[in-house]
Amino acid sequence: MTDNELRARMRQADPAASMAAASPDEVTRLLEQTVTTTTVVNKRQRHYALAAAALILIVAGVAGWALTRPEAATTVQLTGPGAIAAKCVEPSAERLAASADFAFAGTVTALTGTTVTLDVTRVYHGTAADNVEVAQTGETSEQLMGTGKFESGKDYLVASSAGAVMICGYSGEASTPGLSELYAQAFPG
Amino acid sequence: MNADVRRARFEAVAPAVIDAVRRYLARRTDPATADDVLSETLLTCWRRLEDMPGEPVLWAYGIARLTLANAERGRRRQARLAAKIAVLDPPPAVTDAPAETDDDLAAALAALRAEDAELLRLWAWEDLSPGQIAVVLDVSINAVNIRLHRAKSRLKDQLGKLHGTAGHEESTEGRRR
Repeated sequence: MTDNELRARMRQADPAASMAAASPDEVTRLLEQTVTTTTVVNKRQRHYALAAAALILIVAGVAGWALTRPEAATTVQLTGPGAIAAKCVEPSAERLAASADFAFAGTVTALTGTTVTLDVTRVYHGTAADNVEVAQTGETSEQLMGTGKFESGKDYLVASSAGAVMICGYSGEASTPGLSELYAQAFPG
Repeated sequence: MNADVRRARFEAVAPAVIDAVRRYLARRTDPATADDVLSETLLTCWRRLEDMPGEPVLWAYGIARLTLANAERGRRRQARLAAKIAVLDPPPAVTDAPAETDDDLAAALAALRAEDAELLRLWAWEDLSPGQIAVVLDVSINAVNIRLHRAKSRLKDQLGKLHGTAGHEESTEGRRR
């Protein structure tokens, strides 16, 4: 088969061979559609576009810096202990290690009606954080070990699971007998 | 360039471009995609009118080729969903077949690498010279000459292979001289 024969054979199979030429109406419609649906970017608009893009870059840069600057404090938010009617089983290091996804030692720095802010001094388990905010749900924090509730200036050991503070002997004042041992046992190293 | 001059320039080349690109797309994709890609190609031509060279049709082929490739990429993502829908709601069969079906040729073209098949289509269907193909594909003429030569040989090989295995007596008539 020569090249010409090959070409002829391909031409016979040309899917567009029997295609009618675009009608003048169709051409006009396409033309109108094209020149009217687009606004040509002229130089002034291009300047605006560039300015807008630059602004976005600046905003993104500031936001990025704000998010990543070293002194930026990371704050974890937790829900405080609620009213739990269930009886507590004796706390064990195994259970603490198994269910806590975040455990830390911290000092209460601020107390408002609804929020307790703790300054984190040590993270036993979970992602590093500088501050933890615990939302107090009502007045029922009796199940914290020690004094039973968060008090300003005191040190606490707090474990949380899925964003909620674990009670029943798993969180409380750092000075509570056995609590720091429990933490040391559950999170060695 | 002021707006009226610009538009006049576009209107002068548009009919030829539209006709050529319509055919180009009809040869390569389904009618719905062809319509979409034609509109998009024209928009790109209009936006980039300042870049338009002396040979607008070849330039437009190049744009259509890339636009179609984009559309096909997007379509592959949707293919799975479309296949699912087609089972539930089959579309009417499109019977817009070429004047003469040549299954062997279609199979042989499909068996080639996509680049080879595209070269052959540009050569036989768009009726372009190697120099013109080089403009469309944005490669050197030399490269086109070499690749086109190889692609022709491969297509002939494929056709020979298909002919050797299948006994379509009636469909081979008049092809071998």
